[in-house]
Amino acid sequence: MIESLVERAAELLPQQGPLQTFVHHNTLHAFEDLPFHDAVVRAGALFGAEPFPSEQELHGYVEQGRITDADLLAVVVAQVPDDGVPVVPGGPTRREFHVARLRRLLDVPRGPALRWVVAEAGDLGPTWSALLAAAPRVVPTADPTPRPTDRVRAETGVDPDALVHPVLIRLTAAFLDQGVAYWPMPERDRGLLAAFRALYGKAGGPPDRFLRGLVATLRDQERWDAERTVAWALAELAVPEADWGEAILATLLSLRGWAGMVRQFEVRPDRAPVAAPPARLVDYLAVQLTLDVFALRHVLAEHPGRGPVVEVTARPDVELAYEAFVLAELMDVDPTPDPAAWLALVEDCDGLQRRRLLHAAYERRHRVGVLDGLAAHQRLSTSDASVVGFQAVFCIDEREESLRRHLEENTPAAQTFGFAGFFGVAMNYQGVHDVRPRPLCPVVVTPTHDVVERPVAPARGVLRRVRGGWSHHVGVGSRTLARGGVVSLALGAVGLTSLIGRCLFPRLAQRWSHRLDGPHPVTRLDIGYTVEEMAGIVGTVLRTTGVLAAPAPIVLLVGHGSSSMNNPHESAHDCGATGGGRGGPNARAFAAMANHPEVRAILGLPDDTWFVGSYHNTCDDSMTYFDEDLVPARFEVDLTRAKDSLAQACVLAAHERCRRFETAPPDLALADALAEAETHAVDLGQPRPEYGHATNAVCVVGRRSLTRGLYLDRRAFLVSYDPAADTDDALLTSLLQAVGPVCAGINLEYYFSYVDPARYGCGTKLPHNITGLLGVMDGHASDLRTGLPWQMVEIHEPVRLLLVVEATPARLAAILSANPVLARLVGNGWIQLVAWVPEDDAMFLFQDGTFQPHVPEMTEFPVVSRSVEVYAGERGHLGCAHVLAGVDLPVPILAAAQDAR
Amino acid sequence: MSVLVVAAAGVPLVTFLVLAVALWCGQGWRERVFSGLVVGSAALSGLLGVALAVVCVVDGPVLVSLGSWFSGFPVRLRADWLSVPMVVLCGLLGCLIGAFSQRYLHRDPGYRRFYLLLALFVAAVQLVVLAGTLDLLVVGWELAGLASALLIAFFHHRPGPVAGGLRAFITYRVSDIGLVGAVVAEHHGAGHTVIGLLLVWAVLGKSAQFPLGGWLPRAMEGPTPSSAICYGAISVSLGPYLLLRNGIGGPVVIAVGVVTALYATLVGRAQTDIKSSLAYASMTQIALVLVEVGLGWHVLALVHLLTHAVLRSGQILRSPSLLHDHHHLEQSLGTPVPDTGRHFERVLPTALRTWLYRFALERGYIDAFLVDRVLGTLVRAVNRAAAAEARWTHAIATDRQAVAR
Repeated sequence: MIESLVERAAELLPQQGPLQTFVHHNTLHAFEDLPFHDAVVRAGALFGAEPFPSEQELHGYVEQGRITDADLLAVVVAQVPDDGVPVVPGGPTRREFHVARLRRLLDVPRGPALRWVVAEAGDLGPTWSALLAAAPRVVPTADPTPRPTDRVRAETGVDPDALVHPVLIRLTAAFLDQGVAYWPMPERDRGLLAAFRALYGKAGGPPDRFLRGLVATLRDQERWDAERTVAWALAELAVPEADWGEAILATLLSLRGWAGMVRQFEVRPDRAPVAAPPARLVDYLAVQLTLDVFALRHVLAEHPGRGPVVEVTARPDVELAYEAFVLAELMDVDPTPDPAAWLALVEDCDGLQRRRLLHAAYERRHRVGVLDGLAAHQRLSTSDASVVGFQAVFCIDEREESLRRHLEENTPAAQTFGFAGFFGVAMNYQGVHDVRPRPLCPVVVTPTHDVVERPVAPARGVLRRVRGGWSHHVGVGSRTLARGGVVSLALGAVGLTSLIGRCLFPRLAQRWSHRLDGPHPVTRLDIGYTVEEMAGIVGTVLRTTGVLAAPAPIVLLVGHGSSSMNNPHESAHDCGATGGGRGGPNARAFAAMANHPEVRAILGLPDDTWFVGSYHNTCDDSMTYFDEDLVPARFEVDLTRAKDSLAQACVLAAHERCRRFETAPPDLALADALAEAETHAVDLGQPRPEYGHATNAVCVVGRRSLTRGLYLDRRAFLVSYDPAADTDDALLTSLLQAVGPVCAGINLEYYFSYVDPARYGCGTKLPHNITGLLGVMDGHASDLRTGLPWQMVEIHEPVRLLLVVEATPARLAAILSANPVLARLVGNGWIQLVAWVPEDDAMFLFQDGTFQPHVPEMTEFPVVSRSVEVYAGERGHLGCAHVLAGVDLPVPILAAAQDAR
Repeated sequence: MSVLVVAAAGVPLVTFLVLAVALWCGQGWRERVFSGLVVGSAALSGLLGVALAVVCVVDGPVLVSLGSWFSGFPVRLRADWLSVPMVVLCGLLGCLIGAFSQRYLHRDPGYRRFYLLLALFVAAVQLVVLAGTLDLLVVGWELAGLASALLIAFFHHRPGPVAGGLRAFITYRVSDIGLVGAVVAEHHGAGHTVIGLLLVWAVLGKSAQFPLGGWLPRAMEGPTPSSAICYGAISVSLGPYLLLRNGIGGPVVIAVGVVTALYATLVGRAQTDIKSSLAYASMTQIALVLVEVGLGWHVLALVHLLTHAVLRSGQILRSPSLLHDHHHLEQSLGTPVPDTGRHFERVLPTALRTWLYRFALERGYIDAFLVDRVLGTLVRAVNRAAAAEARWTHAIATDRQAVAR
């Protein structure tokens, strides 16, 4: 019984694992059965969190023109029923009222402020009297509090959690610690509850007065299992058995970061960064409830309760009446003929409803802009280059959009494709310096194959190891007593040099410290796949992308990842398709497979094609190429040309990306772009190494020729898919099954961390404190903070993912009906799905259960010769534009582009 | 020469005043301008310190008399072998951390407030170290305490930082009794021992020594750079400096140092978050410095103080990169990072081991003793007295009413 209640509560805990491998997921995954709008409200009530951006922020968009009148009107028409009759004689109709109300930001005073305003105003006239008389009566109701702690807090004004939480945080952190503490917790191999009993059940225990009697209790319960202790504690706290589930949930949620981490260790011990202690959520609950019992007894003994103050008299809803009164004045309406109807109308358009509608309008403007841009681009689209010099397969990641665009813009002979960044190679990978293998594939896949990187010549690496050992000894030693004294006396000068370097010359300091690492040894991959398996993987990727039909002499596979300092969330910037890892090894393994003679024979790959794996660091925009020494001489010229093109594209992409950093000058020279990006990556003082997925908003599944030359502002996941090659929808189905949930997970995590950075996100990074090598706390003893930090999401536009698929509505409807996971995401509105038939210039948005035609609105569509003309001097989000890719124009220097503006 | 001394102390102070007035008048200077002034003034102050060092080496200590507040209270500044290195350190760290924070705090709503407090902190510390009299030192001491308490409470919309700041503030006030007491005692011609004991009392709070060190881990609620300069480096170093300046040493200082060093190193070993771990490491080293001060090894103590400040503030600045560094370390070693603390298991019997571990995990039960028992008893006694008074007045009032009827 207890077990099932804990299981149910566990579903609502944060699903974030240790920060080393950050996997983006929908923060409200547990609510996906509900429609989006209901889910955010329900979850908001449960977690005390915001469902939408604030009305103030949304109203700001109305004023800026980011939300237009057309959007407001369209949203209200779609969502507010109206019979066309004024609600009160001479007043607006329901829809007119809603539109007018959404345009107005009204600060209605509440509580004492309102009483003061009303008292000061004196007689407000007959309208006010009529509205007040007609105002509905409300009885103030206290929220039901299934958790005894909440009740005691309400009754005594003292928070028992202030006693319990510090102890619980210390214990749990020590139990889960992966190696920060010098001295690991004794007895933790027996589980949290056993360790707690062993530590706190000894005499001479903590002298805290609230823990009096704890030793005796723990000794009595020594042989009890956790479930029995939980039942005992709940009975002791006088929770009726019917409320146990609620009480358990509320108890766990009171420190949900830590509870969630215990749960993650319980269900995914394999994801522990170093070693997983035997964690069980029910153990944790037993400890928390035991402490709760003692804290509550203590608080109640110290502060004899006043008893809850419950007001039972019904009073008129003055706030509503006042809002209705102000609105009547503003809209010049006389509601006296039917004040109740006017009040009902005002109440109908309450704060939550307004935010919902405004947010829908906000999303609509973005959607219309993108869809119209996509459509308009087709009318201008230039034909593909006839001669293909090389092909590059990138991850679908929206950060690669700019690199691909610049590559094609600069090198018309280049052709790019988008495929999930693990390139079909789901493997357990161990690099030459790695201590343990790690899966490099989507989290839903459990890899069955091992790939190991081995040095060609026996590695020397003595210097490296000595240096590692030395820095370990200094790091640990400096925190101890005697060694610490010696270290600080001896290394003060070194410390000063490093401090000056890190503070004033971050890029130089990092280069120096890396120089000591030595070069990477020459290695080869030991690939544990059979030839048939390799041919299967290579064939699938090449067929889906369309490379197989006409391979170029050089085919680059570009995996990506991100390396940065001062960033506990570093792994969140890595490749989602490799489960928060770096995709370089996947690209390398894929290339090795595709170059395998037997694989080539099976797939019929021509001899004049060579595959090269590479790695793009999205933080400093550097490229690494693997196994170049294996490239046959006849490909060398082609490869060099491809590398040069990519290097140039990296500079341009870095330049485009840096415009988002306020610290970068708006007229940043092209030559300084890489240095600027690299500084962000290596600076200990830089909380914004890169903006990661912060710009994500769109996903386009279709041929690259549809988006080639379209400026998408690094906002679109681009998935290569050729409908002509997919007769039975099998390719599309498997693509959507992978792409839908992954992109939605990224998109929704950003949405929630943005709309409520304090509860869904982990707030500002500045006071973050890494604990146990697992996560971050605010300061020295807070809940474990989950979600994304504000510095990562601050420029995000909170819109749901706009998934545009090159397929007819009928085909998509069939795929949806056959796939419950997709149907749930799309049907419940967690993503916006659009069917796109470019041949007919038609788009259909999935809304209210059907595909409805999209009506274009676009009045203008910018056409430029280079991307830089679109973004030069701009910081904010930009709309689509047509870039005349391949037209022979000199690259305009930035100043000229700005003059042109 | 006296110009140098006055300027070293005055430049940061004037900067603070200018910035305070500007903020008060709602002057919205750009981030870079605002922070640039603070960084520049700290750097200038540090450079003046370097110049003073040259002067001191050539000409010997510099004493500057700036008149007196009133009779018997002269205002004097003093630059010598002890204060000049501290001036350089404070200027240097103020400049480095200031430059670092330009990136770190960029776009934070409290950016200007942070730099205002940083300017105040640097100015106050320069005043402390250059003060030639205990009276003037008190002024800087109080301002430094105020600035660091406000920096702890920087994120004042959350309760944790405010509680942490308040804890530090109260601890400082308690230990101020010692400092102010020492000033009074000095003016009344009390003996060196009495003044010494009072100053040791003042040091207990400021340098987070046993048993008043509970505020130090709580001070990690502020932004990382302010933790680095205040609690890794300068703020906690002011205690030993005070003793060095006034030539205090002897068994009491040694005892405080030894007890704290043992306590802090034990507690620090059980801390599972990096900033608390570094906080206790700081506490340990400052305690060692106190031992050196107590033994009369003044030069060693000063060198230890300076090198520790530099090393520790660097470590705190690097603490958010711990995951990155841990990964890098594993890769360099080619093996998992070796276990630590296993010798506790070999050396200590099980019962003692669990007891000691719990002692360390609970931070020596100091909170329970000090806050719950000592302070709590006081508060409860006051509350009881207040309740008794209320009952009494009520009784009298009803009595009077009865009589009146």
